[in-house]
Parts: sequence; C-alpha cells; structure tokens
Amino acid sequence: MQDFFELAVGAAASGCVYGLIGLAYLLVLRPTGIINFAVGEWAMLGAFGGFVLLTKYEWPYPLGMVVALGILFVIGGSTERIVVRPLVEKGAPLLAPILALLGMVVVYRETISSVFPPDPMPVPYALGMGRLEFGPVGGTYQSFFTIGVTLAVFTGAWFFFERTLAGRAFEAVALHRRAAALMGINLSRVMALSFGAGAVVAGLGGLLVAPNTSAYYLMGVPLAIQGFTALVIGGVGRVEGALLGGLLLALAEQLTVRYAPIPSGYAQGVPLVLLMVFLLLRPTGLLKAKG
Amino acid sequence: MKLAAMLAAALFATAAQAQDSIRIGVITDRVGVSKPYAEPATEGIVFGANELNKKGGVLGRKIELLIEDDQSKPDVSAALARKLIDQGAVFILSVSLSPATQQQQTVTMEAKTPQMTPMNSADYLTTQLNNPYFWQTGPLGSVQIATLLAHAKTKSLKRVALITDNSELGQAIAKAFRAGLEKSGIQIVDEEVVSNGSTTATPQMQKIRGANPEALFVAGVVTATNVLIFKSYRELGLKFPIHASYNLSVPIYMTAAKGLVDGITFVDAYDPDKPEVKAFEAAYKKETGKDPANLHGYGYDGMMLIAAAIRKAGSADKEKIRAAMQTISYAGVMGAKGMTYVFPEGKRAGFDPNGMVVRVYEGDRQGRVVHVGQK
Repeated sequence: MQDFFELAVGAAASGCVYGLIGLAYLLVLRPTGIINFAVGEWAMLGAFGGFVLLTKYEWPYPLGMVVALGILFVIGGSTERIVVRPLVEKGAPLLAPILALLGMVVVYRETISSVFPPDPMPVPYALGMGRLEFGPVGGTYQSFFTIGVTLAVFTGAWFFFERTLAGRAFEAVALHRRAAALMGINLSRVMALSFGAGAVVAGLGGLLVAPNTSAYYLMGVPLAIQGFTALVIGGVGRVEGALLGGLLLALAEQLTVRYAPIPSGYAQGVPLVLLMVFLLLRPTGLLKAKG
Repeated sequence: MKLAAMLAAALFATAAQAQDSIRIGVITDRVGVSKPYAEPATEGIVFGANELNKKGGVLGRKIELLIEDDQSKPDVSAALARKLIDQGAVFILSVSLSPATQQQQTVTMEAKTPQMTPMNSADYLTTQLNNPYFWQTGPLGSVQIATLLAHAKTKSLKRVALITDNSELGQAIAKAFRAGLEKSGIQIVDEEVVSNGSTTATPQMQKIRGANPEALFVAGVVTATNVLIFKSYRELGLKFPIHASYNLSVPIYMTAAKGLVDGITFVDAYDPDKPEVKAFEAAYKKETGKDPANLHGYGYDGMMLIAAAIRKAGSADKEKIRAAMQTISYAGVMGAKGMTYVFPEGKRAGFDPNGMVVRVYEGDRQGRVVHVGQK
C-alpha cells in the first residue's frame, strides 16, 4: 500500500507536467484553432534554459526560472510573428500554420543539438533533493513543487479565461475572427500573446520535469505526445480538462507498469489503448464545454 | 597573371605533399546518434596522427587524415568510403555506427582497401562478410556480457532483476544478458523496460524492489533513461548492487549522473592503472590540455595499429599492409594489463576475449578495476 501512495505523488507530478503541456496546446488552440506540435520543443527549450542558467551559471532558482520563461515568451511570440502570422494574413488554410510549426519542431531541435553536446544535461531540483512524508503519503520535494506550481498556473489560467475581459477576448477571437475584429479586439496582439503564453507554460513544464529526465535534444516529442493525449482525454472545452487528462494519463501509465500482470514492455501500450477506448465512448473529452 | 602563377604553385605544392604523405581516411559521426562515441574517438585518432607526425611520420612520410562525417547513416557511409578511396586513402578507420561500418565494407572489399574499426562492438562485423581487408579491435558485445557475468559469478548470485530501455540496442543487450544469466543458472526474478522519454522509472523500480533481487543488471544504453533509473533507485533508497552495461563507461555519467552512480560496477576495456594508459593520459593532457576518456583510447590505438602495420609492410601499398595486419601483435592503451591485439590465421576480430575489465564508480569517478576477463 505504501508503494501506491508513493507512486500516486510521483504520478500526480508527471500528470501535472502533461497537463501543463496540454494547457500550452490549449492556449494556442483556443484563439487560433491551430494545433501546435512544437510545444514539446518549447518544453525542451525550457529544460535547456534551466541547464544553462541554473546548472552552468548557477543563478538562484527563482531568477533563473523567470529569465528562462521570459526568453520563452519572446521565442513563442516571435514564432507567431515570423512563422504563423504571414500565413494567416495571406488567408492560408488552417493546415498551413500547423505544418509550418511542425517544421519549427525540426528547427528548434537541430538548433539545440548543434549548440549543445548530445548527452543529457543535468538540471537542478527547485528545492534540492529530498523527501516529504505525510503519514503514508510521501514524495520528493520536486514532486510537491511541481504539483504546487501547476495548480497555481491552472488557477491563473482559469481565472483569466472565465473572469477577465482579456480572457473573453481570446474566446471571442476563437469563435469568430472577423466579428471579434469588428468589436475592436486586436487580433494580432491576441495571437502573439497566445503563442507567448503557450511557450511559457510549455517551457515551465520542461523546466519542472528536467531534474528527473535531464535536458536533452530528443526530449520534446514524447512530451508533445503525452500533452496532446492529456488534452484529448480532458477535452478542449475547459481549461481544467488538460490537467484532469494529464493526471489520468500519468496514473494509468504508472499504475499499469506497477500493478498490471503483464511484462512492462507491453504495459507502455496500455494508456494508448485506454485512450482509444475513451475516444470511442466519449469523443468530446471528459469535460464538456459550458453553455 | 601573378595570381594564376601563385595558384598553380599552391596546387603543385599540394600535389607534391600528397605524394609524400600517407593518406588515412576516417569515417566518423558528427551529428547523429553515434556522436557521443565517435567524436572522442576521432579526437584520439587526430592526437595519434599528430604524435606520429612529430616524430617524423611513418616510413619517413607524414600521416594525412581525411575525415568525413556519415551521420551514422549506412548509405551515406558507403558513398564516403568510395570518396576516400578515390582521394587516395590507403586505410579507412571507421568510428561511426556498426551498421554504417558494415555498409562501408561492401566498398572496401570491392576496392581491396584495408579498413578497421577500433571501437565498434557488433559481433556480426567480421562474421557476416568474408572481407579479408577488414579488421575489428573493439571489444565484441558477447565478450562484454561474458565479462560482466564472470564478475557476477564471483558474487555467487542466485536471484537478480534485469532492466533496460526500449531502444533496439537496449533490447538486444537485455536479450544477451538474459541468455547469459539463464545459462549460468541465475534466476531472473523480475524484468522491466523503461521507455525512452518517460518522466519517471519509479513504478518499475518499485516492482523490482517487490521482487527482492540480490542484484540489478542494467542493460540499457540510452544515457537519459539510465539516469532516470538511477534517480528512482536513490529516491527509493534501494541497496542491492547494480551491474551495468558498457554504456556506463562513457564519461558523461560523471557529470550527468552526479551523486547517483557511486558503487555501480560496469564493464569497460580501459584500466587506469595500466602503464600504457598512464603514459597516454599524460601525453594527451600535455598536448590538448584535456583529460582523455576511454573513447579517446580506441581512436588512438586504431591510429597506432595502422602505423605499426604500415611500418611492418615497409610500404604504403594496400596489399602489403593487408598482409602485415594479419601478422601484427600490438599492445595498446585499451584492454587489460598485458593484452595485445592479434589477428591469428582466419581471425579478424583482434580484441582478446579475456581483455575486458569490470570497474566500479567511486563517488562520481570511474574508478578501479575489480575483475579481469571471463574467468
């Protein structure tokens, strides 16, 4: 039973990371309708930001974190400006920016692999290496830190979309671009902000997971897949769906490896089977959009 | 006009130099999956060539290296072998991926050009093709496993667990470990796979803990995944010893897995106490200002072995070099104390089956040798 509680905390932390990546998809998807598979590479950039600022230059964690995420905001915003906006302004179909961003996956990855050696790079824990125990429930500092930060981010995102005018503007752009523009919403600014925020959230996911996985140039794609799966399970209608989906996915992954009476090589496929069953039974995701 | 004359002079100079020098082709990987191995090995080759040239070269002629990058892609690799031979390389050193080296053989066999890999470990390189122009001095995969198991036997283990990653090579090594363990009558109480890109290995390690093994064999070859396994091992406070594949002999673990590797034993072909190694490390440090790793030693040995063969052949004629290679006996940096590379009649894999060692991590450093050979 102790195994279960120990696993639950670790799995919740992994689920939070998947949820953050899912949210990064959602932030871009909502106002633009673009599925951006480059979020995984943004997470990788966040991890490398952690390596350079926190490991190499040994900056204090909060400062390194803020600067790394600030850089990601610029990267996300400029990606929109350079890669996406010209296509949208020329009236290209939605598939065009999606494919262009797939191309950016290669650009980001190859840039990193040519600048850094191919080995995994260490990224420090936010609060050092150690364990926290509450009765039977125990986990690493990093797990609890990840869970705490993720909850804060999701609360903020929920508040933004549900309670602020700017968040409503995002929603309006998603519903009808031209109508939103006629209402005086600055389309370009909304799009640039959504990409910037998406990059920050994805980068945060990468920074939080990197103390476990290390920073390496191939880490983006698995995260992009896990985050996308989380989003599909949770549904795109509501912000908290991504988090719920991430938690379910991580629990399914880790509990099958631990408890399912099948070789662990096969256990990797179980969450994907679950996903397929899930899509058949509930194609709109777990949470339905309101109204 | 003056410019043209200068150009012509420069061209003739290169041509004359080319006649004087002995050209050795090197096929390495600068961007692909073998980069972590190929790059240090190539640095070792370059260091070796410089050392030879400082002493006047071989047979009074300078060694000239022609280095090409195949990105570990077999098709690119074969084309590069052809290019190097066309440029006059009398020998090709292959330090990229095993399948790429294999593909180069189709060219070297046809062009009757000597080729050697000082590092690749795939057993099939000398068994699938009967290419009399090819040699391999990297320790074979089967030898690595046998050596690690020989060390395990001295611990009289009865129940062990096995963990690997889902890469092709990781699966292949796990299969070989499994076969070896079963042959030695050691029971495998649990076998786990961690897929590359996972965010944790804790469920797998919990399961292993539940199976209560006396030791854990790590067959994985993907560094990031192995680091994940060691992190979970430390987090869960596990105590059983870890015996690991050859992958743990790459130097990156000393920095990427800080505080995680102390006490782990791993198989290697490098003995830091060997006099040849000490001399090599001192010379390398003096020349480049950096400490070499075992991987540099492979490249260095390859270069020196070729130089020895050319000296013995007394000429840079490819056929004479081939004949000389088959009769050579050379003690290099790699291998246990007293090991020599030899190619007895009909054999082209030159690493002594008893030449590997098992070493142990002491703190974050790759430390002393605790076992030698397969006995």
